[in-house]
Amino acid sequence: METNGVRPTPEQARSALVDTERIQASAQALAATPWPNWFFITLTLYVAALPIAYGGAMAGTDWLLPGPAWMGIMLAITAVYGSLFAVAAKTWRNKTGVALRFDVLPKRATVPLAVGLPVLLLGAPFAFRVTGRPLWLIAASLTGAAVSVGFHLAFVRLHRKTS
Amino acid sequence: MSAEPRDPLEGFDTTIHAPNRLRICALLDTAGEAEFGLVQKQLDLSASALSKHVTALMDAGYAGQRKAVRDTRQRVWLHLTRRGQDAYRGHVAALRAIVGPSDPAL
Repeated sequence: METNGVRPTPEQARSALVDTERIQASAQALAATPWPNWFFITLTLYVAALPIAYGGAMAGTDWLLPGPAWMGIMLAITAVYGSLFAVAAKTWRNKTGVALRFDVLPKRATVPLAVGLPVLLLGAPFAFRVTGRPLWLIAASLTGAAVSVGFHLAFVRLHRKTS
Repeated sequence: MSAEPRDPLEGFDTTIHAPNRLRICALLDTAGEAEFGLVQKQLDLSASALSKHVTALMDAGYAGQRKAVRDTRQRVWLHLTRRGQDAYRGHVAALRAIVGPSDPAL
């Protein structure tokens, strides 16, 4: 339907908008495709391990392992995670055929995550350093893992809902 | 001093309004970037028809493409330019204005 510059009638405009929304919903379902399970597990393990490794590196005195060993572990798991993320992102893009976006979930979920998770993962090691209580690290580790599982389930639900 | 409110109907864009182009823009605006083959499949278009519409959008400065190798084959990824996003959103606003504010379904 070429319009040759003529504006559509309200009914034609309505039909075009309905079609547009159907396509947007379909594209949104693709964009909400969850990570593959192997990467979801990798991400959860990384988020759980990071505060403990960082806490060990930050500790005033050696805690379980010498500080440099914890630092080495933290850098190693971060490097491994970064490499696996690159592989997972490329595989995900090739599988879905759409760009990887971080704004698929509503802002009320992603903004608290973007602010809260770094505070949790980096703040708990500081609290551990000050108080000497490893409970901070364990709590941050468990909370981080729970957040990772929660977001994965949110993507699974959104993907199913919009598919 | 406040600016005059813009008439949403001014956003009506005849380049975008051709139905398949509107659908292509809707998909690319939501997906950010999409592979040519996926767009073709999602919109049930032939490669030549999609190519023709993409060329029209690119000529208007609304769309761009990027070539990438996948499984040893070269694939084309499509995206809307900033100008294309603005034009598409303006066009959708114009369509909403044409429909009228009281339609609860939109």
